[in-house]
Amino acid sequence: MAKTVTIVVDDIEYEVPAGMNLVDVCKQYAGVDIPVFCYHPKLGHDGNCRMCLVELATPRKNPHTGEMELAWFPTLQTACTQKTSEGMTVRTKSQKVIDGRREILEFLLSSHPLDCPICDKGGECPLQELTLRHGPGTSRMYWEEKMHLGKHVPLGELIYLDQERCILCARCIRFQDNIADDPVLAFDQRGRHQQIITASSPGFNSIFSGDTTDICPVGALTSADFRFNARPWEMVQVATICSHCPVGCNMSFDTRTDREAGGRTTIKRIMPRQNERVNEIWICDKGRFAHHHMEHPERLTKPLIRRNGRLVEAGWEEALREVTAQLQHAGENVAAIAGGRLPNEDLFALQKLIRAQGSHHIDAYPPVRGGEFTASVGVGVGTNLADMGSGDAIVVIAGDLHEEAPLWWLRVKAAAERGAMLITIGGRETRLDKFATHSLRYDYTEEVATLNALLGCMKLTGLPRSVDGLKEAVKGARAFKPDKAIKDAAEALAGANNVIALVGHEGLDGQGSHNLAQAVANLLMATGHFGRPNNGLIVVWPTANGQGASDIGVRPDYRPGYQRIPVPGMGYTDILAALADNTLRALYVVGADPLFDDPAAEQALRSTLGTIIVQDMFLTATAEVADVVLPSQSAAEREGTYTSGERRVQRFYPAIEPCGQSQPDWLIIQTIGKRLGHGNPSPSAAAVLLEIAKTVPQYAGITYQTLAEVEPQIPDVGGEDLYYGGTAFRNRHGLGVQWPAAAESGGALSAHPVEAAESIEPEEDMLLVVPITLLYDAEPVFHKTSLLHGRVPGPDILMHPEDARYLDIADGDVVRLSIDGKDITVVVRFDEQAPEGAALLPRRMQVQGAPMAATFATLVRWDVEALER
Amino acid sequence: MFKAGFAILQGLATTIKHVFERPVTVEYPEKRKEFSERFKGRHELKRYDNGLEKCIGCSLCSAACPADAIWVEAAENTDKERYSPGERYAKTYEINMLRCIFCGYCEDACPTEAIVLEKHIELSYYDRESAIFTKEMLLVPPPPGVWGTPKSVTPHSFDRAIPVMENPE
Repeated sequence: MAKTVTIVVDDIEYEVPAGMNLVDVCKQYAGVDIPVFCYHPKLGHDGNCRMCLVELATPRKNPHTGEMELAWFPTLQTACTQKTSEGMTVRTKSQKVIDGRREILEFLLSSHPLDCPICDKGGECPLQELTLRHGPGTSRMYWEEKMHLGKHVPLGELIYLDQERCILCARCIRFQDNIADDPVLAFDQRGRHQQIITASSPGFNSIFSGDTTDICPVGALTSADFRFNARPWEMVQVATICSHCPVGCNMSFDTRTDREAGGRTTIKRIMPRQNERVNEIWICDKGRFAHHHMEHPERLTKPLIRRNGRLVEAGWEEALREVTAQLQHAGENVAAIAGGRLPNEDLFALQKLIRAQGSHHIDAYPPVRGGEFTASVGVGVGTNLADMGSGDAIVVIAGDLHEEAPLWWLRVKAAAERGAMLITIGGRETRLDKFATHSLRYDYTEEVATLNALLGCMKLTGLPRSVDGLKEAVKGARAFKPDKAIKDAAEALAGANNVIALVGHEGLDGQGSHNLAQAVANLLMATGHFGRPNNGLIVVWPTANGQGASDIGVRPDYRPGYQRIPVPGMGYTDILAALADNTLRALYVVGADPLFDDPAAEQALRSTLGTIIVQDMFLTATAEVADVVLPSQSAAEREGTYTSGERRVQRFYPAIEPCGQSQPDWLIIQTIGKRLGHGNPSPSAAAVLLEIAKTVPQYAGITYQTLAEVEPQIPDVGGEDLYYGGTAFRNRHGLGVQWPAAAESGGALSAHPVEAAESIEPEEDMLLVVPITLLYDAEPVFHKTSLLHGRVPGPDILMHPEDARYLDIADGDVVRLSIDGKDITVVVRFDEQAPEGAALLPRRMQVQGAPMAATFATLVRWDVEALER
Repeated sequence: MFKAGFAILQGLATTIKHVFERPVTVEYPEKRKEFSERFKGRHELKRYDNGLEKCIGCSLCSAACPADAIWVEAAENTDKERYSPGERYAKTYEINMLRCIFCGYCEDACPTEAIVLEKHIELSYYDRESAIFTKEMLLVPPPPGVWGTPKSVTPHSFDRAIPVMENPE
């Protein structure tokens, strides 16, 4: 328990923690609202707006009498810059304070345009609210004396600035500088001419730019997506979970009916929903703006069947009959590939159908492994990255969190700034390295070797007895020779109280990611960092529900709940091979698009004689080669659950009407199942979750009711009183449930030694191409949002200048690469941060062909055809 | 007999007396009555003398409406295609006259005096859909000789949505 002190607020004594911010204390303990503009509990104090003035006194020794007495400050003091101390006395309601606040508001409003009727913030605006409560009521300013500044100043294509409305509280600047680490905003000029500018190209170049519109206490920053779209009071908030990455940010769709959409309910904007354990009050711009695919005109509205080589529209009955016939014909020679962005309910229905057919050939796409390790030594229940600080360590391996899971990046960075040790282990420098205490570099294919070397040189005093095979694993790791950097990191890691490891999959295939996760799990088990909060493993999945897919058995080697299958089915790569040689009769692809971003799928999917059934929102590249295409609903049209990378099951709600005749994936799958004689469909998504809870031991007790439970969030940001300003962040619809890993529930744990991958010697003119993931890519669910197109890079391959010089290639050269027999044309970009000896090729770009894992490609210097064009 | 005849004459006298009085009804629709100044009939959306719409699409009328009769959707003005002063204009403006209770709250809420309950009283419809008055139906025509909206204007000449406020005394 922290030290407490007694303070007096408005003549009442309170027992409060020492050294806490006075504004927060008054709110939390005394229920007194001190108005603020520049102060924000997430940003800290700045003391520039002067709104939080109070009368303040502290005990002091009288120099004459030597007795302690209460000394009042002669002037009003800013509460936000005060920390609680013993005997501190505050008056927040005296006439002096009331007058002071009124005068400050008059200053703030001296140039404010008072165009509330057309302002997007009007209705949820702290300036409006506080002026009503504390303001002067009338203005003494002459019209000519007000500053007349730009009202439509684009700070980049996403955010617009209204210079007149800005009250210069610097919340946006402080957010960008201190939290997002994109210092792209600044003040320009001085005095009454002072204004916000952006200094980056493209303007406001930050993936968290949308968050500044939320924390702006006036309508100075508005988003291009929402500008003039609706008034805040007209919209209905529907709770949802972001479906773009494994963080599982809590958000809400703000919806309203729209005349242009024919009276349909449409998503007007996306707002973050406070969940202090997941995303606090932030979301990245991808989550905020990339929702337009859900209401896109290219959405599939009817089933399609291939007739005479062309896909034609058909009724559901006809399509289902066709699918049923094909699956009946295929019998157990059926395989399924499910997108990792599908909710748990769909994944469960799909694996049940495929297994009922007698097949275990099912896999998630992209096929990344590691779920069995999070299920055993995943982070403990109650883990909060915000609790990590001095004395703790976070290890980030083989990934770029900034691009793959922005909110984790944000929170890991914040932990590092609080004093947590940050060890980054990767093949290249990422944005996290700046904050790292130890950065370990490996050559791609040496991921496991590095982790083993790290484990091998740890000084271990007694291994946890609860883990089988740990001795062998450590013994195996001792064979790897560490270098100095690894030894230093191991020494640092040995002294850490809590350790969280985030393991990515950059440059790795399914097996590679499995091995790496095993190596990391071994390290955590050997050092005893598992089975308790703030310790354990997190897999940075490539999709929102990769963890759920693994838990639910959408993989060939485990049934739901990690029950090992003695004779595993075929995984993704084997399914493709089996399709190519026609041993599989049918492939059911749900919510995945391998043809779009995996060159290896090309030949198999195009040449197979088997039936391909695709179920998706769009006519994707894979759907174009399908025999039957079934239209499914987006996450905004139905309910369901996702399991985040931290194993938190979270629920989302239906927000808009279904698009055309589309149906939820689980219902389509179960309807097919019924026709194949596998039982009746569930009455609702909630019933499917009940069945999951019954089948998957880890999910026991999880229902839609428990997922909807909430508890007060501290700091309370954006409650009824709009105390901290910003818009409605309050989480009313559920914080989700984190399920306990085996280490916590007393399950069996085992470690296995991992062999390092064999390194391959490249041939002449071969180039190691490593696929990397970027936040903004050309994936359909993202790319249908045209607003962000300007941020998607071109067909670039990133190369270290040294490598390029060796290969005699200049910056901007167009080269041709041959990867797995597929040719692609890319533009070489020099990047000092790219590793030497490997070229980085972003995945899921307009020019497709980045491999799934690090691959050697043949390089043709110039693409003659491209040059001629 | 006499008594009965008197009664008839008495009755007729009342009738005849009214023949010479001024009638309270008018020959509608050929003739129409003057309404009092505060009469509240069907709404009109007003324009400025330069032809721009007064309505800025702020939805305050819709928020104030106790009968939920008004539907507003806003969009952004440009100087090339300007509907109203300032950045915002009403892309859609509809009033469901079957719902409207003619209370005039919309008029009170309007920051630009764009919506005014005027003297129109012919509000009968064959179906419910025709009771919805669209923006085109509500908007008054521009003053004679002035081009209506949208219009192309000199950049930055109409940046302010709310008319210039009064200076303090």
